[in-house]
Amino acid sequence: MHLTGMMFFFWAAGLLGHCLLLVVLLLRGRARTFPIFTALIAGNIIKTLALYAIALHASKHTYLVVYFAFAILDFVLQLGVTFELARHLFCPTGTWAPDVRKGFMILAAASFLIALVLASLPVPPEKTLLGTLLDRGNLLSSALQCELFVGMIAFSTIARLPWKTHVARIAQGLGVYELIGILTEAGHNLTVRNSLSFQILTYVRMSAYLACVAYWIVMLWRDAPRPVELPEDVRKLFFTLKIKVEYDLRKLRAFK
Amino acid sequence: MITIRTVYFVVVLVVFLVALVGAAMYYLIRNRQRKMYPYGKWETLMRRLVAVDRENIVLVARDLVDENGERRFDEGELDLDPSQIWPLVGGIKGLEILERNCQVLVDLVFYAQQWYPEVLAVTEQLRQQAREIELHIQRIKSAEKQGQLESWYPNYAQRAVATYYVMTRRVLGLYEQLNLPGLAELQQSL
Repeated sequence: MHLTGMMFFFWAAGLLGHCLLLVVLLLRGRARTFPIFTALIAGNIIKTLALYAIALHASKHTYLVVYFAFAILDFVLQLGVTFELARHLFCPTGTWAPDVRKGFMILAAASFLIALVLASLPVPPEKTLLGTLLDRGNLLSSALQCELFVGMIAFSTIARLPWKTHVARIAQGLGVYELIGILTEAGHNLTVRNSLSFQILTYVRMSAYLACVAYWIVMLWRDAPRPVELPEDVRKLFFTLKIKVEYDLRKLRAFK
Repeated sequence: MITIRTVYFVVVLVVFLVALVGAAMYYLIRNRQRKMYPYGKWETLMRRLVAVDRENIVLVARDLVDENGERRFDEGELDLDPSQIWPLVGGIKGLEILERNCQVLVDLVFYAQQWYPEVLAVTEQLRQQAREIELHIQRIKSAEKQGQLESWYPNYAQRAVATYYVMTRRVLGLYEQLNLPGLAELQQSL
């Protein structure tokens, strides 16, 4: 199995983009803040190299099986990144607000069900079991991620929680890419594998991903704007308020 | 070949995408508006204010408190017959309108904080009064569930109306004193 000119370009550009992004994450200290996201990018580098070696030296079936295994890993890591972003957003002090956590769990369960229904609807024409599973799995993954991101936007608006710069940029990139992913994967589920339309959809998805990686490289290289320092009297006021709130909470809990 | 299942898939996909993008846009616009108008928008505040019968409010409230919100102990106190209070208030629906208007009153004073941050104390006072009204209404609702509405509503409904009246006087007084924009509109609405 050999890579065509176009596929080789996407392969090389993807590898270069991921390597640059990993360097940015490590050099700028973002890996400490986003360990799962860093693992996803590192995983993608390993995947790209492994798949290239397999594409050159092994059969097409082996390639598909390994690709499938990496796709599962990718799916799990992407869910992990969503959870990581949600943790930054909804528990900035280290503790999840109970109502937000419950809501987020319900959202995750409902999103999974909706994505599952959506992914099980199309009947792909003339495809192998592995190919069908891959296309449906990709559609499920894109739909689920998009739903979770929209849910996170909704919860953060209701709870009035701000998106920190880097969290927002990672979410924006991933959200837009997954939105394009829904369309391309829906197309993949309706077209014959290796047909021209199938290839074009693959190129669109890959181009979107490359754009997304380029966006992350720039945004994660830049520093987030420095938060405005609180004046000393306001800081004291907040300290007193915190003690008062803790006292009130203890009183309220005693009513139970 | 296009099967009926493919058609279903495309329809569900379009509905799914429209709902997803629509929800995202709605919350993003809400977020943006909050950033653009951190103190709220005057037009939105005015729209949220539901019209009430001002004369009835004054009649019920002034039976219990004076113009400054002080409890009346003169001869004219409690002239109203308890049976008159409920229809004047507009029943439980009327009280619920007052409850919603109270939130607008709090937001109206919060709105003034963009020019006078020291108004914060008044906002907090109003917030407490709004909570007081909420509690009175909760008590009336529980009494209604237990079938004891008649013995509870004159007291709590009148107290809720009196507190609302005091709140409106305070907001109007504040806007007048600080010569804030929108006073005339507020005088007509409250």
